[in-house]
Amino acid sequence: MKKIISFLLVTAMLATAMLATALIGCGGSKGSDNSDNNSSDWSYIENKGDFVIGVTYFNPMNYLDDNGELTGFETEFAKAVCEEMGVTPKFQKIDWDSKEVELNAKTIDCIWNGLTINDERKANMDISNAYMENKQVMVTKAENVEKYSTAEGLKGATVVAEKKSAGEEVAQTDEYFSSAEYISVDSQAKALLEVKSGTADIAVIDYVMTIGTLSEGSDYSNLSVIDSQSFAPEQYGVAIRKNSTETLKKLNDAMQKVADDGTLNEIADKYNLKDLIIIEAEN
Amino acid sequence: MNQFANVTQQLLKGFGENSFIFIITLLAALPLGFIVSFGSRSPFAPLKLLTKGLVWIIRGTPLMLQLFVVFYVPPLLSGGAFNFSRINAALIAFIINYAAYFSEIFRGGIEAIPKGQYEAGQVLGLKRSQIFFKIILLQVIKRITAPIGNEIITLVKDTSLASVIAIPEILMNAKDFSMQGLIWPLFYSAIFFLLFCGILTLLFSYVEKRLNYYKG
Repeated sequence: MKKIISFLLVTAMLATAMLATALIGCGGSKGSDNSDNNSSDWSYIENKGDFVIGVTYFNPMNYLDDNGELTGFETEFAKAVCEEMGVTPKFQKIDWDSKEVELNAKTIDCIWNGLTINDERKANMDISNAYMENKQVMVTKAENVEKYSTAEGLKGATVVAEKKSAGEEVAQTDEYFSSAEYISVDSQAKALLEVKSGTADIAVIDYVMTIGTLSEGSDYSNLSVIDSQSFAPEQYGVAIRKNSTETLKKLNDAMQKVADDGTLNEIADKYNLKDLIIIEAEN
Repeated sequence: MNQFANVTQQLLKGFGENSFIFIITLLAALPLGFIVSFGSRSPFAPLKLLTKGLVWIIRGTPLMLQLFVVFYVPPLLSGGAFNFSRINAALIAFIINYAAYFSEIFRGGIEAIPKGQYEAGQVLGLKRSQIFFKIILLQVIKRITAPIGNEIITLVKDTSLASVIAIPEILMNAKDFSMQGLIWPLFYSAIFFLLFCGILTLLFSYVEKRLNYYKG
């Protein structure tokens, strides 16, 4: 009796394992058909009708308003571009560290969240035309702004930035920071928290990030940007899967149209980002 | 005040996800762990090896990695043709992971019952299944309440790991507020966990008291 039960259990387990393999296996053959034809990324998106946009929440790009509705510069911009492309935008919150995996697993169709264009990303993903400019700035406690406005003042100071960010590159390579200590943390918000709590003196973060976080009434309102210095200007783009030529063209064309008819400027103005927009309207 | 209400609402919404994962995992992993514990005690060697091997893999790898595997590996292998929804992937990973831990607690509990209890049952002329369900199981339950309680409390906090596959649970929502310039929601979120675990602790001490009718 016991033997029979054991045998049945093993059979059941093996059957489940085989079923799972078969499911993944048959899916796999479908998938390879898709990747044979590179232009089909767009037909894949067109077929399902919605364009899944990977975002993280941060002010002023994508954030929840007082009613819990997703809003922000990128949210509105993406909606306008999707309308132009004839697809329905669907915003999916992601973990920023897994953005490339999400894109390749097709759990999202693009990353549209203040993504800095760099060579490493260009090698792994297709990236749209740059639409916005950003720079790295120093944030410190208001009373220290003057002290850290010159390179000499940084002697013995601790500088913090997000790991693998543009801010980190600046803090580690720029002459200005040569006499300071450097530590890295896992997010820009944490870099600000370090400065706020006094465990670090200066955070090097995105200028765009400071617009939302250092505003009046926030917990960081006693921190300020050191206006006299800024570093490493960079540009934002939208990332899609590698070799999606057709999707890329549609995206770039739609972004240009939204810029041409003035919608982009209107949205940027609303969030005080007008100076940073770099798509030229053609008309 | 308005801001406080807004933050509380968002955190509660996130904690709803944590509670959902917690309840479903518990309901599924307890019986599954019970079944698996028989596998690892089986006299039939292949079944025993297979079960022990699976338990070794599940307990020997980080839950965070298991979440990644369940959610990302199927679509990566199938070119996006097949994937679990985020919440289903989280539930699958949590249930399998916790079933492995529970199974070892059950196994320990069952093996701790003295042989004399089985012999007494045989003397009374009970069948094997009667001995297990009428004599052994009740004593096992008493013995494992404390370690199971421990594991259940751990589960409450582990549910936060679901944020690695972007489930909008409480810690993820709290971190979003820090991107908007608010630090305190992150620390405020601790209250939700403390309250939940507090209630569970009271519940367990009540259960233990009720089971205290006989010292075995």
